[in-house]
Amino acid sequence: MANRLIRMNLLRQFFSSLPQWQKIPCHVPRPVLQARLLHHNQQLYSQSVIPAPENDVSTESLDLEQASLAHHDYFNVRNLINLKQLFTNRVHFGHKKGVRNPFMVPYIYGNRLDVDIIDLDQTLPLFKDALNFAAHIAYRKGIILFMSRNQQMMLRIEKTAEECGEYANCRYWAGGVFTNSSVMFGSVTRLPDLIIFISTLNNIFESHTAVRDAAKMCIPTIGIVDTNADPRLITYPIPGNDDSPVAIELYLRLFKRAILIGKNRRKKDEESLE
Amino acid sequence: MALNLTLSFIGGRCSRVFYSQSRISILGCIRHQSTIPSDISSVSKLVDTAKKPQPKAERISKAMVSYLEKAKKYDAMMLEEISQYEIGRRHLANIMGADPESFSQEDIDKAIEYLLPSALFAKPARPLMKHPYEIFPKKKMAQFGTDGRPFHYLFYTVKPNYYGLMHNIAWKVEELKKEEDKHYQVDGVFRNPPVLNLKGSTWIDKETLKKKVLENISDLEYQRFLQLIEHLVAQPFSYKEKEFIMQYRQEFESQLKQFNFPEIEIDENGRQFCKTTGKRKKAEVDLILWIKGSGKVEINGQDLSYFQSVKERNQLLFPLQFLQKTKEVDFKAEVRRGGISGQAGAIRLALSQALATFMDQATVEKMRLAGLLTRDIRRRERKKPGQPGARKKNTWKKR
Repeated sequence: MANRLIRMNLLRQFFSSLPQWQKIPCHVPRPVLQARLLHHNQQLYSQSVIPAPENDVSTESLDLEQASLAHHDYFNVRNLINLKQLFTNRVHFGHKKGVRNPFMVPYIYGNRLDVDIIDLDQTLPLFKDALNFAAHIAYRKGIILFMSRNQQMMLRIEKTAEECGEYANCRYWAGGVFTNSSVMFGSVTRLPDLIIFISTLNNIFESHTAVRDAAKMCIPTIGIVDTNADPRLITYPIPGNDDSPVAIELYLRLFKRAILIGKNRRKKDEESLE
Repeated sequence: MALNLTLSFIGGRCSRVFYSQSRISILGCIRHQSTIPSDISSVSKLVDTAKKPQPKAERISKAMVSYLEKAKKYDAMMLEEISQYEIGRRHLANIMGADPESFSQEDIDKAIEYLLPSALFAKPARPLMKHPYEIFPKKKMAQFGTDGRPFHYLFYTVKPNYYGLMHNIAWKVEELKKEEDKHYQVDGVFRNPPVLNLKGSTWIDKETLKKKVLENISDLEYQRFLQLIEHLVAQPFSYKEKEFIMQYRQEFESQLKQFNFPEIEIDENGRQFCKTTGKRKKAEVDLILWIKGSGKVEINGQDLSYFQSVKERNQLLFPLQFLQKTKEVDFKAEVRRGGISGQAGAIRLALSQALATFMDQATVEKMRLAGLLTRDIRRRERKKPGQPGARKKNTWKKR
């Protein structure tokens, strides 16, 4: 119990002291977003994982995790990406203005030949935050799930997930995978701790049911939101092109790097403790 | 191991407990589809490791705790079921007056059929007594480790094995496409690669695929599997994946396996012979054929003159002419009932079968293709009222 309280306090301090929160032009009010984040972080520690009866939760791992929060860019993942890279990989291309989602308006730089152009100046810091968050989750041994209903890139996404030792669901959404998991899997099942949506839309261009279900189960989400997508239920929205193979390959490369960096760092830190 | 254990402690209380116990076993075992026997020891191994003192900082997820509880319950249930089955088996052996130690599953099936005869048409509804491993569905092993992390990267698709297979096939298609491009780049000329020959086999059916992936798949999912794997086969370089593709194909059963050839016997003179029977229309024949003969023919005590017309003689000698063995074998036929052509046809069939028993595979296949080994199933068509024959009509006369 005491341990859980310590964790909660740490997380509360961390998230209230983050400088980059002020920059996020998110439509969810900040306190609400923070409360949501706190809640699922609490879940990550207290509900999906319970301590073995004989020994108490190792204070060492807690120290490690605390130390990682003290640094603004503990994994150096913010250096992985720059504006030019985003531009050359066509991240700025949105959709035609007719399918524009009104909640994406703040992220749109302008409109050329009827096509919305995404403001990469806003995308970049959001992307960096998302990478940082993914690395932190990987560092805490969380389960990361890649999702997308893009047929063309499905194989690549699944392969990436396999390569970084994480999970993917780019197939037919069975419904209730998160909200009715014990029935779907036949037993109590650990749910993912982070979901990365490479595209938040499903195959009929509506918001994927998993976005809603993840919000219901307080699972944090990172999502590439195109100009026709709804960013409101995504914890870490990244405005960007979610259709071009080049852009998607860039995202996959970056997330894979960030996750592997987080995991390797954990190994290294644990070795240095011993 | 479990079997021996239970055998030893059952001891002497056989005869009295039989009725209730065996009934429990029989009723309790009213079947589900039989499954592959599960490995009970592997489950208990997991339980053992969980009991060991853990290194510091190791945590067990709620998912694992719940799984371990379930596995324990399943183990206990199976032990109980097995002991009941063993008691029932021994009682059955006593009733049937057989040795309980060597009373096998086959004996059990026979005993149940004898003691509890059932007129029910559906086989699954009849009483049976099988080993619990065959009756209780196999429990899936834990899909995740002690920290709750699933083993399979597609775990959250709910059908990881099926989608994993689809992923593999699709990935192979991509690789073959690359292979094709490379082939082109060498000298700019495309030479046709060897063709993958899939003749003589067909795709595995849905049920087999289900057993392969251990998951329930729908018709649509099975169709998608077929589409995808056919797409793989359609690639020019698909011969490179032959081994993989053949895992999902089953061979046609050979038509020759349908024939039951008689055994070859040897008489007191050291000559090989065999006995066959043949039927056509209402005629029946018992035939004995000796090889290394001189072309002696005996039909109902007469020679070939039993049949007066050439048509029937040709008919019954056709197998010998086909194999060019007219002067090399002797046969003796006892033919009953039927008319002339029926009897000739019956002898022809019996003679062909007898000859085929002495021939090699390729010749037998030739004989099958010539229609020699197929029974002519046509029967006499009945006469219809209002007309003189089966089809024949009276002359039509306008009033």
